[in-house]
Amino acid sequence: MLHEFELRLKFLSGLIVLVIVLLIARAGYLQVYQGDEYARRSDGNRTRLVPTVASRGTFYDCNGLSIVENRPSFVVSLLPLTAPIQPEVITRLSELLHVPREEIDAKVKAHTGYEPIRIKGDVGADILTVIEEQSALYPGVIIEVQAVRDYLYKAQGAHILGYVSEISETELDERKDEGYRTGDIIGQFGLERIYDKELRGTNGGELVEVDVTGKPVQILGQKDPISGHDFHLTIDWRLQAATEKAVDDQLSLIGAQAAAAVVMNPQTGEVLAIVSRPAFDPNLFVHGISEANWKMINENPNDPLDNKAITGEYPPGSTFKIVTGTAALSEEVVTPNEMILDTGVYWLGEKGNAGGEVLGWLDFTSALSHSDNYYFYEMGYRLGVDRLERYARMFGLGEKTGINLPYESEGLVPSREYKEKYLDDEWYDSETLDAAIGQGFNLVTPLQAAMVMGEIAANGKRFQPYLVHKIVDADGKVLKEFQPKLLSTLDVPDEVIRLVQQGLRDVTKEGTAAGVFGAGFPVDIAGKTGTAENSQGADHGWFVAYGPFANPNIVVAVIVENGGFGSQSAVPIGKRILEAAFGLDGSIPFAEAPGNKRR
Amino acid sequence: MNKRWLRRMDFTLIIAAVAIILMSLVTIGSATHINAASAGGYGFVQRQGVFAVLNIALAVFLMNFDYKMLQRYGTKLYVVNIVLLLAVMLFGHSALGAQRWIQLGPITLQPSEFSKVIMIISLAALLEDKVGKLNSLRDLLPIAAFVGLPFVLVLKQPDLGTSLVFIAIFLGMIFAAGVNLKLLGAIFGAGVLASPVLWHFLKDYQKMRILVFLDPNVDPLGSGYHIIQSEIAIGSGQLFGKGLFEGTQSQLDFLPENHTDFIFAVVGEEMGFIGAAFLLLLYLILLWRGIRIAQDASDTFGMLLAVGVTSMLAFHVLVNIGMTMGIMPVTGIPLPLMSYGVSALTTNIMAIALLLNIYMKKQRLIF
Repeated sequence: MLHEFELRLKFLSGLIVLVIVLLIARAGYLQVYQGDEYARRSDGNRTRLVPTVASRGTFYDCNGLSIVENRPSFVVSLLPLTAPIQPEVITRLSELLHVPREEIDAKVKAHTGYEPIRIKGDVGADILTVIEEQSALYPGVIIEVQAVRDYLYKAQGAHILGYVSEISETELDERKDEGYRTGDIIGQFGLERIYDKELRGTNGGELVEVDVTGKPVQILGQKDPISGHDFHLTIDWRLQAATEKAVDDQLSLIGAQAAAAVVMNPQTGEVLAIVSRPAFDPNLFVHGISEANWKMINENPNDPLDNKAITGEYPPGSTFKIVTGTAALSEEVVTPNEMILDTGVYWLGEKGNAGGEVLGWLDFTSALSHSDNYYFYEMGYRLGVDRLERYARMFGLGEKTGINLPYESEGLVPSREYKEKYLDDEWYDSETLDAAIGQGFNLVTPLQAAMVMGEIAANGKRFQPYLVHKIVDADGKVLKEFQPKLLSTLDVPDEVIRLVQQGLRDVTKEGTAAGVFGAGFPVDIAGKTGTAENSQGADHGWFVAYGPFANPNIVVAVIVENGGFGSQSAVPIGKRILEAAFGLDGSIPFAEAPGNKRR
Repeated sequence: MNKRWLRRMDFTLIIAAVAIILMSLVTIGSATHINAASAGGYGFVQRQGVFAVLNIALAVFLMNFDYKMLQRYGTKLYVVNIVLLLAVMLFGHSALGAQRWIQLGPITLQPSEFSKVIMIISLAALLEDKVGKLNSLRDLLPIAAFVGLPFVLVLKQPDLGTSLVFIAIFLGMIFAAGVNLKLLGAIFGAGVLASPVLWHFLKDYQKMRILVFLDPNVDPLGSGYHIIQSEIAIGSGQLFGKGLFEGTQSQLDFLPENHTDFIFAVVGEEMGFIGAAFLLLLYLILLWRGIRIAQDASDTFGMLLAVGVTSMLAFHVLVNIGMTMGIMPVTGIPLPLMSYGVSALTTNIMAIALLLNIYMKKQRLIF
């Protein structure tokens, strides 16, 4: 019997050894065999990578004036770390911030990860005080300081600069490989979009140790953000402002809604001003645009988000006579001195000048300066569509100029090929006549119109338009300096260009723009008016010009949608732009401004 | 107290027990952030330390008595035990969904802790003259009913963990008392068959604990959270540990109940496998000595007492440490001599004092 007890107690001893060995084995398995994995999970528990957003690059105009900067903004955010945000907190916050409950709920629902959910930006001191003093009522609500884009001049230059907003789901999917992450700010339009990668810099971050509530305990590591690059533009902000004012004043005077203007230096391709109307204020987008503002912009029939200077395609109207005239003289279908009689109605198509004006005997220069349709119908007839097409393409029409802005349009050059391809029909001679005076199958952007005029000004040289003079990093080191890029030279005799210049000069002296410019305009200006027929409504008014005639450094293109005759709608705008450019409005002329002495 | 008395002490057992208590004080200190200026300070360590000293003093004093006199009080102690447990049901206050505590001035007592030792004593007294006579169900039923009453009272608190300790004590003691092994096998078989029925009597949170034990990811932010965080803590300690006060899981509060039920995870995290295995070896010594003392006991009552105490301690060690490492369900029973808790500490030191007393008396014949 005693032996039996001994055995049973020995069994219990064995059982105890077994239990302890089992536990040691389990500890060994967790700590030694799987230790690395658990160490990793433990680090994942306690550490958070908190990104430090790099400050976005600044935009300067050609004189070093700062146009776009960053400013701090207080943002009220939600940070649901351990527990979901309580509904009553959301209700309270919705009332405090005047943000609809549904909007907050939607953001919370879409949220994943550890990033704060941003509810409202640019919150004032009164609201910050409430949240800080009554923090017990707002568990999970945090206040962040965010650097946001500050467009110092509001809508001015909006179509050049563009705007930024938080990256959308679809953009994220497309651009994940480029290092974009949820919550990133991304350029959506204009230069902000084209140069987003250079502007955004490299985000830094802090590796923070947090406790179970997500409260930071200490900083374990830190990588400083690298600021984005600064951009020095070719834009002359003073001229930009003058151009915008000239456009706005004229639009309200004649009651038109939409317009565009481009100002360039024809000798370099530098763009000095771009205006498109209607415009928008890029500041509206920095915290995510409100529903009401978006509706206002999105439902405007004139589409404020369109940069009409490069995206808008319009029939060039009589400004195209520059192309037709150059072609006619170069192809020698007419001599400069051949007199042609405008009898009122051209035999083919039975059309003449607008308003039935009959100008009688005309040589080349007077036909150009008075923009005589009869003469150019004849030129078109003599040239034929193929030669017209070749010269249009030589001027760079029908293709993008390659300006560094998004959404540029190509325009349309009249051709048999186009008609056959898209309309499945052969070309008629009467259509050549329309094409010759810039109607019909003929579309240009205002930028292209400026380019055509610029090529005449620069004796046939076609420079690529560009907006950025140089890109500079945060330390002031120049990373890239843009130089004028000669795209092509018109393959026409110098004599032809001189004759065309002559005809254009007469436009402001005795031709279609003389009425506005008058006799006393102090700078010698060459110009060309145009009126683009518009089947949808009133005609669009064109004006292109350059000056000073002898040594041009300014070329201007203006279009006023539904403005009627170019001479009445667009010319006054062009005149005021030229006055500003040459300092005739009492300001410093462009050519003498400090930033422009470099050439 | 004289030299002879001292020479009759089981120093191996004493050293193991004191070493565990010292480790406990250090670990509780770390778990309650005594190193952090902002946190609670030394409150927990002080209380546990003071009670350890007081209990050891009491244990030394109790060495003057002979454990054999306890046999006479078996029935009375049993009645006291039942009254105490009923008192908890009637007057106790509840915490964390269970009614286990009685407030006595500044001290919160947990009678179910003491009831385990009282149970061992009264059961040993009952079994003493039944050794070798547990051959039929009829022999066993009265004993089962004897244990069953306090078991049900504890289960009702509800305290599943402690009630299971009662079963462990019961099984260990009747095994040592020579219960018929076929009968024991039959009881086990019946238990397994009855488990689906018992499942229905479990509370929802108890069912959840068992489900979570089977797969912690069932509820990673709820019941499974403890197990996952505890396993991360222990595993991330790797071989040498993160160092005292350096355990991020514990110091940053990812590990809940880190000074009570999950204190082993703090040891594992901060002292690594070396520390965890060292602690487990101390328990092995403690328990091994417990069985030795049972073998060497001068009488059957002493042998049964020693087996009861050892069964209780072994079950606690297995279930608590097993729980922190994800191989036992979460039952909320403390780790003997390690977990913070005055009632449990008192119970365990008294239990070890009982072992030492039995050891002391075994060699009387030799001297």
